[in-house]
Amino acid sequence: MICAGVDAGSRTAKVVLFDSDSLGVAAAGVVDQGIDQDAVADALFVRLIRENGIDPSQVGPVVGTGYGRKLIRFAQKTITEITCQAAGIRHSVPEARTIIDIGGQDSKYLRLNGNGSVADFAMNDRCAAGTGRFLELLAAQLGVRLDRLGEIAALSRNPAIISSMCAVFAETEIVGLLASGITTADIAAGVLASIATRVAAMSGRNLDGPIVLTGGVALVPGMEAALESILGQPVAVAPRPQITCALGAAILAWKSLNGSPTPTA
Amino acid sequence: MNDRPRKITLDQWDDRHAELRAAGLNEPSYGGPLGRHAAQGDVRLRKLSFDNSPAALRLWNFLLSEEDRLRDCKARGKKLVGAMKDLGTVPVMVYSLPNLAAFYPDGAWWLPCMKENRTDLLKIADSLGIDDSFCPVRAMLGAFVNQKHFPLPGLLTCSVGATCDDFSAIAQRVESLGFPILWWEIPHRRRPDGDEPVVELPGGFTAPETQVAFVRAELERIRRALADYAGEPLTDELLSAGIERANQVRSILGKLRELAYCANPCPMPALEMLIAEMLAIHFCSDHNETVAVLAELRDEVVRRVRAGIGVLADDAVRVFWVNPVADLRVMNLLEDAGGRVCGTEYLFCHALDPIPADLPPMEALARMALADPMVGSPRDRTGRIVADIRRFGAEALVVSRIPGASHCAWEAAAIGEAVRAQLDIPMIDIEVPSLADAMRPTLRTRLEALLETARTRRR
Amino acid sequence: MTAIAYASPFVPVEWIAAHGLRPLWLRPPAAGGGAEFAAARGVCPYAGAVVDAAETGIDASALVLTTICDQMRFASALIESSGRCPVFLLNVPSTWQTGEARSLYLAELCRLGRFFEKHGGKPPNGAELARVMLAYDRARSALLSAQSTLSARQFAETAAKYRGPLETASPPKPDAPPADGIPLAVLGGPLLEADYEFFDVLQRAGGRVVLDATEGGERTMPRGFDPRKIDADPLRALADAYFNAIPDAFRRPNAALYEWLGRELAARHVRGIVFRRYVWCDLWHAELQRLKRWTALPVLDLDAGADDVAAPNRMQGRFEAFLEMLA
Ligand code: SF4
Ligand code: SF4
Repeated sequence: MICAGVDAGSRTAKVVLFDSDSLGVAAAGVVDQGIDQDAVADALFVRLIRENGIDPSQVGPVVGTGYGRKLIRFAQKTITEITCQAAGIRHSVPEARTIIDIGGQDSKYLRLNGNGSVADFAMNDRCAAGTGRFLELLAAQLGVRLDRLGEIAALSRNPAIISSMCAVFAETEIVGLLASGITTADIAAGVLASIATRVAAMSGRNLDGPIVLTGGVALVPGMEAALESILGQPVAVAPRPQITCALGAAILAWKSLNGSPTPTA
Repeated sequence: MNDRPRKITLDQWDDRHAELRAAGLNEPSYGGPLGRHAAQGDVRLRKLSFDNSPAALRLWNFLLSEEDRLRDCKARGKKLVGAMKDLGTVPVMVYSLPNLAAFYPDGAWWLPCMKENRTDLLKIADSLGIDDSFCPVRAMLGAFVNQKHFPLPGLLTCSVGATCDDFSAIAQRVESLGFPILWWEIPHRRRPDGDEPVVELPGGFTAPETQVAFVRAELERIRRALADYAGEPLTDELLSAGIERANQVRSILGKLRELAYCANPCPMPALEMLIAEMLAIHFCSDHNETVAVLAELRDEVVRRVRAGIGVLADDAVRVFWVNPVADLRVMNLLEDAGGRVCGTEYLFCHALDPIPADLPPMEALARMALADPMVGSPRDRTGRIVADIRRFGAEALVVSRIPGASHCAWEAAAIGEAVRAQLDIPMIDIEVPSLADAMRPTLRTRLEALLETARTRRR
Repeated sequence: MTAIAYASPFVPVEWIAAHGLRPLWLRPPAAGGGAEFAAARGVCPYAGAVVDAAETGIDASALVLTTICDQMRFASALIESSGRCPVFLLNVPSTWQTGEARSLYLAELCRLGRFFEKHGGKPPNGAELARVMLAYDRARSALLSAQSTLSARQFAETAAKYRGPLETASPPKPDAPPADGIPLAVLGGPLLEADYEFFDVLQRAGGRVVLDATEGGERTMPRGFDPRKIDADPLRALADAYFNAIPDAFRRPNAALYEWLGRELAARHVRGIVFRRYVWCDLWHAELQRLKRWTALPVLDLDAGADDVAAPNRMQGRFEAFLEMLA
């Protein structure tokens, strides 16, 4: 039986098809979000089934998650991204105790119990600082590709201090830093450190290890190093970080089949 | 050796220090080259420029050696009192007792700047839920926890009531971590109602007699606590003598301000004046030395004024500055842009006024505490700012906002409105974070624009 | 009847009513109306909304605010300087342990009484004040005993009505929340009128608020008047019931808030705490991590900004996640 998780995020839609026999991912995909979130997710879902030769009659329950979860009409159930993220990470990194999820528009911190359930969480969905959006804006301003930011930041000897809490003001600061001749490497390192500081403050810095970084920004090389240096603890990047939340949704869909208590919303 | 007044860098100071020593400079025990403080962690000093007088050297060394002095005090058996959110009241009482010394834990405000964030103070504050939506004074919470910056005092006092929410909230967090605090209330100063007996306060404010009596009763509680802690009574005689000594500091500062803010060319840079003014509220843990340090600085200023020499150009634009800057470097920036400070309101201008010496000491202290411009209506503070701008003849106004400080979100507009209505001088408000390097070009542009506007009006 | 608006639970409603005035518990509709405030970083949306409300016009002859935070002190000065509405700023000491602090509060109530007289109030005699106090006391007791039959929103709205004239406050028709909802406490500062929606969202997500400890809720209701004290000196009894007994974040020290909370959480078998605060409200914000360390219960941080009405999904998502966690 294939169970599906659909993560309708603010920037991208992700679908994971989970094979309940092998307890592994049968297929996964990510596409840019569109105006009709249901249609975008549905098209991806259908494409994954087709491309992977899955018999549609084998497809069982679908759980929707993410900001747009209520818009996913083909999902039988919706569960928040907090619970799904925990389930997804539990599957891929069972020993994780803390999850830091930095997405395009928000960032979250989750503390897990020994059994992988959520014990505490906090989220910043109020301002762009501490999110992927902030990173994109500032990388663009530096004229650096996002995937090279970490590599460039690694050359820094003296990371710049970006003190503004607001993405708009941080842009002004970067103009200032560039004008004062600060190197791109130092600014790039400053940008990563600024996001890491923001995320660390949100979590209250009371983090049990192992700490796992997930969400789209986990793909930016150097982010985990910036977090490690701010938190003073090792941070591991989750395998396929963009899809851990959709994977969690698919796993929770499968568990609902088995009668395991799954939260519904 | 070139003794012409000028601003020099830290490296230049170290060279000059060697020359001065060779020429026979006599220094107090805390003297020495300024560079050693940078080597010990106050790295921001490397980016500042300083006045080149031996008096300024002594001032800086005095300020930067406070941690050592506190530890030394403790080692010598002096009892320490941490006077929090206290702008010049409790320290006056503390220094009236010979075996007590007061310090100002709030001074940790500047640590993130001085150490260029290379401390874990803010991390600790974050971990305790005091993030950067609070004023930089949150560094103090970290300092209580890591105990690297001041020894723990045996008695902690904190004024609350009409003080800022940032401090009140942070101090409560300090207490919840197991540092007991003796809270004392400073009520919001209100206008007396028509039929109420009125008391004149230093600085030109008034308050109902009942409020003064209330503050006096609060200070009596502090007096009892200090006496218990010291193991000897804090008599009126001791207090009167303590007030006299505090007034000595205030009087030197009064003279210093008058000269530094009015004489042309400017005889002393803004940064040294900021440090000097701060001594009025906490005495840097040594009252007698404060007097000596300030007297030397005053003498240097007098000498320069008499000689008609100074550190800035004659045509520097005269700027009134409101609120202390979280990044000290910004005071240099104003001067680099062609301005000079002519008058300040660093949130404690009442602590620069003399404490009435003709009143019973507790009454005098209560009146002085209630004269804090921040505890009354913003209109009172604005009124005092306007009066001081006139007094010092400032041509422009800078309101410097402190990131996260709850009062700053409201006050710039109120001050701006009053200044526009009554003075017609240009004004800007800027936000200065603890490390403003990234903001430097923008800040400079804004300051230059302000100064240009003020200059245009001269014509 | 002349109305007096007030925006703090430390202004005793009984004192307004006993002066023959109509108490109006100010609940500004929503934050962020005044663009200037919405834009200004650092302004508490609630304090900003009070200024907006005063600027737009309050249906009252005067407004009473208190000194419990500096944002409110600034708000009060701003309203006063605009001349739109007479303001009385009641001094409520943060410290509460000393006789002087209590006397100051009592003296402030007397001063407030004189202010009421200027606005058409008649000073009450002791018997009249005692009568009004007992009437409000009965109304509040009835509300508290009916709490389990009311939805959280009904409770909050009725509590708000009981901070107005009693004559117009009729008891609500019970509309009990689903019995299987997860028992929750809501702790925090004031709510704007638009924020009451949040109780519905919480209930729809599967929560059942068994303790409303926001500024308008149970936390700030005086705990019954001492009849002996009322007989001896009703105004002092009133002052004591408000000043000595209301636990709040701004008090120094504020241990009483935690003591009260500990008792109430245990008595009601609460399983989770929703911590509702405004961004830039330092006094409540500073308590968040302390609360998290103090309690074994999960705590949901709900930081409310000026733009929250436009973003209900955010609130809903957090509630759902929190309740999934508690399920
Ligand atoms: S700078 Fe302002 S907010 Fe910070 S402690 Fe001082 S008065 Fe309070
Ligand atoms: S919410 Fe906080 S900052 Fe806002 S008015 Fe209330 S106590 Fe003051």
